Amino acid sequence: MSSLPDFRFEDAPDLPGSEHLSKYGVAGLRRLVHRLWDIEVTGREHIPAVGPAILCPNHLSFCDSVFVPLTLPRRIWAIGKGEYLDDWKTKHLFPAFGMIPVDRSGGDAAQEALDTAARVLDGGHLFMIYPEGTRSRSGNLHKARTGAARLALRCNAPIIPVGHSGTLEVQPPDQFMMKPGLPVKVNFGAPMYIDDHGDPTDPRTIRTFADAVMFEIAQLSGQKYVNTYATSDDKPDSSAPTSPTSSPSQPTSSPSVPSKPTRPPLRLPPNRTVDAAFA
Amino acid sequence: MNIAGSIEQHDPGRAALVDGDITVTYGELSANAALVRSALAARSIQPDDRVAVLCGNEPLFISAALGALGVGARVIPMKASNPLPELERKLAVIKPSVILVGEDAQWIHEHGETLGVPLLDLGRVASTPASADAPPLVDRDANDVAFMMLTSGVSGDPKVAMLSHGNLDAGQAAISTGVEDGLKPEDVVLGALPVAHIFGLNAVLLTALRVGALIVLERRFDLERSLGLIRQHQITVLAGAPPMWRLWSQIEAPEGTFASVRIALSGAAALPTDVYEAMLDRHGVSVEEGYGMTETAGVLTTSRGAPMKQRSVGRAVPGIDIVLVDDDGTPVETGDSGEIVVRGPGIFCGYYDDQETTDHVLTDDGWFWTGDVGVFDDEGYLFIVDRVKDLIIVSGFNVYPAEVENILREHPGVDGAVVVGGESIETGETVIAHICGTADLDELDAFAKARLTRYKCPTEYRVVDELPVAPTGKIIRRELR
Repeated sequence: MSSLPDFRFEDAPDLPGSEHLSKYGVAGLRRLVHRLWDIEVTGREHIPAVGPAILCPNHLSFCDSVFVPLTLPRRIWAIGKGEYLDDWKTKHLFPAFGMIPVDRSGGDAAQEALDTAARVLDGGHLFMIYPEGTRSRSGNLHKARTGAARLALRCNAPIIPVGHSGTLEVQPPDQFMMKPGLPVKVNFGAPMYIDDHGDPTDPRTIRTFADAVMFEIAQLSGQKYVNTYATSDDKPDSSAPTSPTSSPSQPTSSPSVPSKPTRPPLRLPPNRTVDAAFA
Repeated sequence: MNIAGSIEQHDPGRAALVDGDITVTYGELSANAALVRSALAARSIQPDDRVAVLCGNEPLFISAALGALGVGARVIPMKASNPLPELERKLAVIKPSVILVGEDAQWIHEHGETLGVPLLDLGRVASTPASADAPPLVDRDANDVAFMMLTSGVSGDPKVAMLSHGNLDAGQAAISTGVEDGLKPEDVVLGALPVAHIFGLNAVLLTALRVGALIVLERRFDLERSLGLIRQHQITVLAGAPPMWRLWSQIEAPEGTFASVRIALSGAAALPTDVYEAMLDRHGVSVEEGYGMTETAGVLTTSRGAPMKQRSVGRAVPGIDIVLVDDDGTPVETGDSGEIVVRGPGIFCGYYDDQETTDHVLTDDGWFWTGDVGVFDDEGYLFIVDRVKDLIIVSGFNVYPAEVENILREHPGVDGAVVVGGESIETGETVIAHICGTADLDELDAFAKARLTRYKCPTEYRVVDELPVAPTGKIIRRELR
């Protein structure tokens, strides 16, 4: 239904996945997806033709991992669950489409994921990471985990904010099948550099940058931003689609910040000693 | 234990204090404290009675505080410069049994009858003949309250933080014996910070007395006089609040003025980067920032004993646990910012006669919620972001005033900037900047937009003649809301 944009298949024999399968698999899937859905893409000019970049989309549906990569002009890689390699249906297919499996059961899973991502970026490729960490069940855009910002700092790579809409309707939660024929919109924002958001050697810059990325994603996706992490317990927020984040314009007078009641006890994990927090 | 006993271990002939032309030895200080104990005992002051000490930065304050602690009383230091109405308001909260009056507070005698609290003139006490039967130091438990510190902070609500002998002892140890290259007996310390403030009281005065150092008192800070004292007495420990550091950083002092300074400490408020850089460039002094507050008996973090990192307040001192948490008490991810929650032997006992406020900040298991937001780097250095209460929320996004103010201050036409939140139907809140200086506002707006994410940019600029800043350098935001 939508026209097929240009695509350049870049070789990456040093990364997981059969190059042969990747090349023809990606080409076939791109053609299929653009035929089955009405995809509108804006901002593709922001994707660098060469060199590394971190794509940070909002995350509403499983199929986000289909539409965002397949609307890009280049190949992209992302971290995926190691369990996919145990299933014959996915063990060859997913790596072919850029998934790098990481065993998330190990103690150093986060570090391994970060190192893997750094390997992709240091090789001059695109890497995708959902800054919310998990799918938003509320429909809102949630507070960012800092992984993407830290990766940007470590690899000196820009972040490209991505805001999409329509994927939730294509594949609602817990639905295996994707409904064809529906419109999907994917908006790529301008590259963001951590140096523009503070001194990169100052650790406060990480959160500043992560928040700035979320602000841009909110502008691109039209979602309402909430300053809490997304969890699997979140319930759909009925106000979410009608209250997009807006830029400030008309101030009036003083704010009111509600005071908290008695402080809650600290929720330190059982095995965590405070020494781990630089006591 | 009794922290008043810390001076008894030193050589009585050793110089403890210099006040103008007068030098007071540790032996004389001990004797003067004994006279105060006698005078208080004669007025039947009992352990845990509240004794206010109304003084300037003068030797009589020290003998009065040590004397009152010596009989087991709780000491409330009060500034001699307090205007009468403010003093009356504070006295109504603390209801002391007696007020000890120093040289700098003689004016209070005119109002003795209306105050409704007995006054005891410290000059007269000091002039009484020494008695061999002065009451001995009362032994106190580490949890017994030693000082009750008036701390309105920047919120404006009068609060009285109770600090125990154990709290103060821990705070002193943290910056002397407990840290590499801390305060030593050979040090000469400039006592220019107000002794009624925890920084001047525990981090400077009481710690210096504990180690047996020499304290050169400056009753009221004056730039030229302080430079003279630094040169004359070869000051080795220079502690100041940011406004003092700003003045020192701007002065063209003769070369070598600061050569004797081996420890330069800033506290009470954040030290602006330009002040730090100016002190380093102009005088070769690397000013260390620590972090602490009245409720923690002073120091929580220090740069002592580790390489300094600019803009960081250093690392946790031994014995202090620090975690950064979300609103619900969950520790944040490594490298992310969160409210600073601390635990350790210096954490105060609670606010006097105010259980509700105490419960708001202090948990049963000893964690104190500081109300500050910070972030650790990979090496455990703490960086302060801002106060939780000052947070402005624009379209759900956090805007910390300090970040916006720092950007605005970088503009050459801005002398000072204070940012507060304003209500907005569209975004909940917006950012309003109050500016001192000559900057063209359109130009300033463009300057800010080039450096700040859109939601952090002020939507309104208000030019004011003066910004509400406390003498410690803390911004009093409530006056602009």
